[in-house]
Amino acid sequence: MGNKQPYTVLAVDDNLLNLKLIEKSLSKEGYRIFCADNGPKARAIALKEKPDLILLDIEMPGENGFDVIEKLKDDSATNSIPVLFLTGVSEVDAKLKGFELGAVDYITKPFHPLEVLARVRIHLKLSIATNSLIAGQASKLKQLTEAQVSMLPTPEDNPLARFGVFYKALEEAGGDFYDILNITDNITGYFLADFSGHDIKTSYLTASVKALLAQNCTPVYSPAESMKMINDVLAEILPDGKYLTACYMHLNRTTKKMTIINAGHPPVVCMPVDGDPYLIKTRGDILGMFKDAQFGIKTINVSKGDRFLIYSDGLVESEKMTWATGAEAMLPVYKTVVSISYKEIPQKLVDKLFGEKLPDDDLVILCAEV
Amino acid sequence: MDFQDLASRLGIDDEDFMELVELFVVTTLSDIEKIKKSVQKKNCHDASAAAHSIKGAAGNMGFNDMFELAKTMEMQAREESLDGFDAYITDLEAQVNSLNPT
Repeated sequence: MGNKQPYTVLAVDDNLLNLKLIEKSLSKEGYRIFCADNGPKARAIALKEKPDLILLDIEMPGENGFDVIEKLKDDSATNSIPVLFLTGVSEVDAKLKGFELGAVDYITKPFHPLEVLARVRIHLKLSIATNSLIAGQASKLKQLTEAQVSMLPTPEDNPLARFGVFYKALEEAGGDFYDILNITDNITGYFLADFSGHDIKTSYLTASVKALLAQNCTPVYSPAESMKMINDVLAEILPDGKYLTACYMHLNRTTKKMTIINAGHPPVVCMPVDGDPYLIKTRGDILGMFKDAQFGIKTINVSKGDRFLIYSDGLVESEKMTWATGAEAMLPVYKTVVSISYKEIPQKLVDKLFGEKLPDDDLVILCAEV
Repeated sequence: MDFQDLASRLGIDDEDFMELVELFVVTTLSDIEKIKKSVQKKNCHDASAAAHSIKGAAGNMGFNDMFELAKTMEMQAREESLDGFDAYITDLEAQVNSLNPT
């Protein structure tokens, strides 16, 4: 979005009159308008032209607006373009569905061109602000040459987070890192990451990620939005080929919902209070490699006493097996520790698996209880 | 109908508004044809979809009488009734033709 280039808007509606009305009223204000009268055409234009914003009709024959937004959000090339729905439907359910699928706003039909113009302006401003926030955070972090490694949060200092942890880092390694985010009294974020390569100072990376977590894991952003912001900044600041695998657990103890965002990390283990441990598998891109990455996201209902285990690959990976098979193979071991306190589970697992001889790798195991 | 007033309400100039009126006439007459065929075939779904299209366009243009009429037709067709559609169509056609500047 350069200074001299006009902002571009893609208008999608099967009614040609509506398209023309939008085109006329926005183009005279200096916007460049692309028009599409059906879903597939709209997606093709979105992919080719990367408009700054999309106005999307819901009720269209064939591929409707919900289908179109789902496909746009599934594609990393188009998923960050803000979408406003045009809807003649006044039911709350349809509006909520639109928001759930990633729309930023909706305009009720019949629409007034001046309202369309006002909403387009507002959402372009928001989009610009978000982009400049990412650019600003990236530039601040780029200037960071020497950073202090903050103390890793301890269970004693964070009693509301209800977690236990085992942490062992190799001295020179970029290695593993975890953080606890006390987002509100009832919402806690648990973050665990494993950096690739060992040639960037751990202090630099962990401090950067810690700062990004503090800035972006707030009640204002959904867990997916938080990780997206962090990813986009890291993609700016990390050298080519450097990335991290990470797992972010966002636990809301009031709504009893756990959202897990997985960025190429081994699966989270759920140890339900009334059942056998199982893996929560999601597929997703790694963190910090490229912008608009797609992460594995899963939200599940939880009960008081449920435990969740996140860990670095050192726990489940060995010369004999990759973490994909290792994670499955560990399930019977987790079953043997379900009766002990969540605070002691990480240490107990290390004792059981490694005894006196710890592996020659970084190792973090974190257990959180609802 | 005061086109100048409608154009200024939409925030566009008279020339652009007239261009939109011409487009409205063409698309709406095409939608009316669809409704006629749907009535012949007793296809309520298609009749409702075409009336929905007219409703949206008329609403955006500020043609309130046509908006209300198309809305009535859409709702009725949705409830699987095409009673009185011949009269509605005649009324709608008359209103659209009265717009036609040529």
